[in-house]
Amino acid sequence: MVIYLRSGGKLRDRLKPDVDIYTRKVEVEGTPTLEEILEEIGIPDGLVAFAFADGKVRRLNYRPVEGDVVTLQPPVSGG
Amino acid sequence: MPRSKMEFGRYMRQLELQDWGVEGQNRLGDSHVFMAGVGGLGSSAGIYLAAAGVGKITVCDSDRVELSNLTRQTLYGITDVGMPKATLAAQRLKAFNPQIEVEPNISEIDHAVAGGLIEGSDLVLDCLDNLETRVAMNRAIIAAGIPMIYAACSELTGHVSFLHPPETPCLECFVSRMPPAVEPPIPGFTPGVIGSLQAMEAIKHLVGIGETLKGRLLVFEGMEPRVDVLEIERDPDCPACRGLS
Repeated sequence: MVIYLRSGGKLRDRLKPDVDIYTRKVEVEGTPTLEEILEEIGIPDGLVAFAFADGKVRRLNYRPVEGDVVTLQPPVSGG
Repeated sequence: MPRSKMEFGRYMRQLELQDWGVEGQNRLGDSHVFMAGVGGLGSSAGIYLAAAGVGKITVCDSDRVELSNLTRQTLYGITDVGMPKATLAAQRLKAFNPQIEVEPNISEIDHAVAGGLIEGSDLVLDCLDNLETRVAMNRAIIAAGIPMIYAACSELTGHVSFLHPPETPCLECFVSRMPPAVEPPIPGFTPGVIGSLQAMEAIKHLVGIGETLKGRLLVFEGMEPRVDVLEIERDPDCPACRGLS
């Protein structure tokens, strides 16, 4: 299954985009959770606070489906 | 009716908005907003709340102005370094609109005092700068049943949502990860944009116009630039609002 992960900011450096400057194509086996996918591609726990896909906020136990574009959000808490 | 002819003149351009009118202006004038934090977000949001005529604003912040604040905390200037933010913010907002009441509070917000601080408020603005204090304020608004406009930003990214559990998710339904301990870089315009959106949400709610971000999270990505408005749902396992109905 192929999904697309997007990110801006500092997370972009860790994501290593290859489709455009924000997006990385990722091939995964089975139906892993987003947390498992991030671990597999080397994005450490704690760098992603939540994600969104298809207009909805998704927690890290979300299981992406074929072709999903999942945007990663870093922890944002400044003011 | 607005309290005086001068007041009517001041607010005339916003009174003309559909569904705002004298009644909406009076609702705003009768409102009490508690601002948790008057840093970057609070500087931006506070000016628009004061200018619009929110009747009473409490500005709460235990910090003092630092030199590195001045790129984004536009209520303060170079001669304010070392002075308490809440005291200065109250003076500046009151000078901006002498027709409103602005009360400073230099308390440090934590779980023990958050509930008492927001007592009597109609709305809380989360203009805080760390997740730990945000969680304390989240628990306090849940206990008090007071709505809160959540906003946060770092780098060129910002978030805004209207939280009023159980009608909406609470903060801990969708934000749980602690950010890294280091202070993230941030340019002044990010809290400027996000604080303005926060003020817009607050004023719409208080006047009673338009739709708010209830059950939705606005994500601003200034670098691309891009704005997404996303559905958020209550987390049935949320440590803060689980079982609330």
